[in-house]
Amino acid sequence: MSRVLVAMSGGVDSSVAAALLVEAGHEVVGVTMKTFCFSETPSHSKTCCGLDGIMDAKRVADALDIPHYVFDVEEDFTRDVIDDFVSEYSQGRTPNPCVNCNSNTKFKDLLARGEALGCERIASGHYVRVEHGSQRSSLLRGIDPDKDQSYFLWAMPRSMLPKLLFPVGALTKGEVRARARELELITADKPESQEICFVPTGNYRDLLEKRLPPVHPALQPGKVLRRSGEVIGEHGGYAGFTVGQRKGLRGGFPEPMFVLEIRAGTREVVVGTRDELFEDIVEIGGLNWLEEPPEAGTPVRAQLRYRATAVSAIVSRIDDALTLELAEPLAAVSPGQSAVLFDDQDRVLGGGRIVGASTRAAIS
Amino acid sequence: MHPVYLDHAATTPMRSEVQEAMAPFLSETFGNPSSLHRWGRKASAALERARDLAAGALEADPGEILFTRGGTESDNLGVLGRCRAISQDGTVPTLAISSVEHHAVFDTARGAESRGELRLVTLPVHTDGTVDLAPLETALRNGPTVVSVMWVNNETGMVLPIPEIGRLVEEHGGTLHTDAVQAVGKIPVSAQLPGISLLTASGHKIYGPRGTGLLFVRDATEIAPLLYGGGQERALRPGTEDVAGAVGFATALRLAVDEQADEAMRLSVLRDAFEGRVLAEITDVRINVGGATRSPSISSLGIGGVDGQLLLNALDMEGIATSGGSACASGSTAGSHVISALFGSADTMATVRFSLGRHTTESDLVQAAAVLAQVVGRLRAMEKAS
Repeated sequence: MSRVLVAMSGGVDSSVAAALLVEAGHEVVGVTMKTFCFSETPSHSKTCCGLDGIMDAKRVADALDIPHYVFDVEEDFTRDVIDDFVSEYSQGRTPNPCVNCNSNTKFKDLLARGEALGCERIASGHYVRVEHGSQRSSLLRGIDPDKDQSYFLWAMPRSMLPKLLFPVGALTKGEVRARARELELITADKPESQEICFVPTGNYRDLLEKRLPPVHPALQPGKVLRRSGEVIGEHGGYAGFTVGQRKGLRGGFPEPMFVLEIRAGTREVVVGTRDELFEDIVEIGGLNWLEEPPEAGTPVRAQLRYRATAVSAIVSRIDDALTLELAEPLAAVSPGQSAVLFDDQDRVLGGGRIVGASTRAAIS
Repeated sequence: MHPVYLDHAATTPMRSEVQEAMAPFLSETFGNPSSLHRWGRKASAALERARDLAAGALEADPGEILFTRGGTESDNLGVLGRCRAISQDGTVPTLAISSVEHHAVFDTARGAESRGELRLVTLPVHTDGTVDLAPLETALRNGPTVVSVMWVNNETGMVLPIPEIGRLVEEHGGTLHTDAVQAVGKIPVSAQLPGISLLTASGHKIYGPRGTGLLFVRDATEIAPLLYGGGQERALRPGTEDVAGAVGFATALRLAVDEQADEAMRLSVLRDAFEGRVLAEITDVRINVGGATRSPSISSLGIGGVDGQLLLNALDMEGIATSGGSACASGSTAGSHVISALFGSADTMATVRFSLGRHTTESDLVQAAAVLAQVVGRLRAMEKAS
């Protein structure tokens, strides 16, 4: 058995992950990452990102009789995750901060510090599985389709995979909670964390206004127009918009209108009907592979949003970027979001960030 | 490899003599010392015997010993209680503290200053153990001044010049409080030293019970209580007395003082050998305040090129129990005010404090030095790779 570092957020999943590792006979050390905005005095919020998260993780670690340490990664988190989030939105894209955080900040840091602590393996409570073969390791979706978190992990360096363990990936959420109750862990019935952890209210516009200079173009008024170029109104700053979001417009339109596109260069927000949201050609950049990269013509399963169902697609072109042809058009393909590619065995091949989308009709 | 406890400045295990002395007062001799019946009388007699014992150990009169519930409480009562006694006639006293005080004095002083209760003067302390006394002299000349300077610094083991400060304070008629929590049992401590009016000691740092302490209050030094209630401890620390705690604490104090000279000799040899090994095996390492007079039980090291928190974690993983500066709150990674005061806020060395105790052996320290060299190597490799 080996020495394993387990990342403990203070939630039920990582609590059970730690417990399962202890049961398996590993020498386990629990770690909670202090990522941002903790005041030194405990707040009374019950989210997993407050100081309460650290205290809950510590209590679980105490109950399991394993050491528990706090790693301060606030500086890295602010730079790699929060600043990137603000920068992406300010350029009219819709970022996935959880991809940055999970794929990079968390595991990179855990791996480095884990090595310093003499740990051979790094574990977490993510709902994903990893298969360790003699030649290679593969990342797979978690068993529970409602909780699968593979979407957040495509961007991690492939070289890390052999060192990772995901003890709850083979369980459903229900089974995890049942184990937690059986073990009488204090986190057994803790509510899920849902929102982006550093935007607990869900209102990221406030965060952008706080972190961007007031004169930033993303916060200046601009035109709202149709694809045809017809101007139909004004907005108070495109930083407030996401592709696919329903846009309330004065003046009355017979159909609901949705944001189709954000043109940061001209500060224009393009809106249209629900039909106009559908696209089937997706351009993807910033690629990272956890398996051998697919060749052009390879059929894959593509997931373009967290919690979205994967769709059939063909890799039609690949070099340092990739073009994907979807079998069926999808609504609200958003630049900035991750596109994660799977094989038909739920194995994560790799992924990238959506750069743009179009329809075959538009190309022909 | 067995785990090695080198965090005696944080707390110590209770000695068997102490447990034995306390045992009757946790069961059959349970009375309230304020009661007039035989149960009460028995308890009261034990409490006063404990007071005699503690007073003897510190060369004080029994009437000068107030039992409290710990070092923090004694520090608060000594500092605030004295300042509030002075301000009863409307005078705003000056409080002079050293820059390396424990939070129990440091935060108490800053809180009182922000409430307008006193004027605060901070006396810079240097790595060689000297204290800037010019601002103290100025304060003493200008009006009623309370001085609070610890005898031994808890993070570095530095011995502060209490005899010199005592003489100065006595000459000008101020009040000197000294936090002697880390001094008792480590260096000679006497309440008879000229100039000392108030002195704090704690039980659990000297193999006594947790939650016990005392404040020596020199006869005729007026202090105001912080708590109000019954008339216990001359109404300066009301609340039903912890007889078992007082007995245990007094026993531990007497033993610590009796054994101080021999134990100091033994520990200073062990510590010097440990530091010799560290310096031989690890590069870019500093003995913090190595140029000052130090408590023989503390070795505080500054280590370059490593993350301080991770270093403590890695030592713990390999079974070596230490602290950074002092034990800090969970989740808190704020730097130590003591290390900043001594080495400047730009100092990048990680601090690790090894504090030795009664059960520390040479083989413990050989193991600690070897593990330290190993984990420092691992941490430096990590820093290089990132």
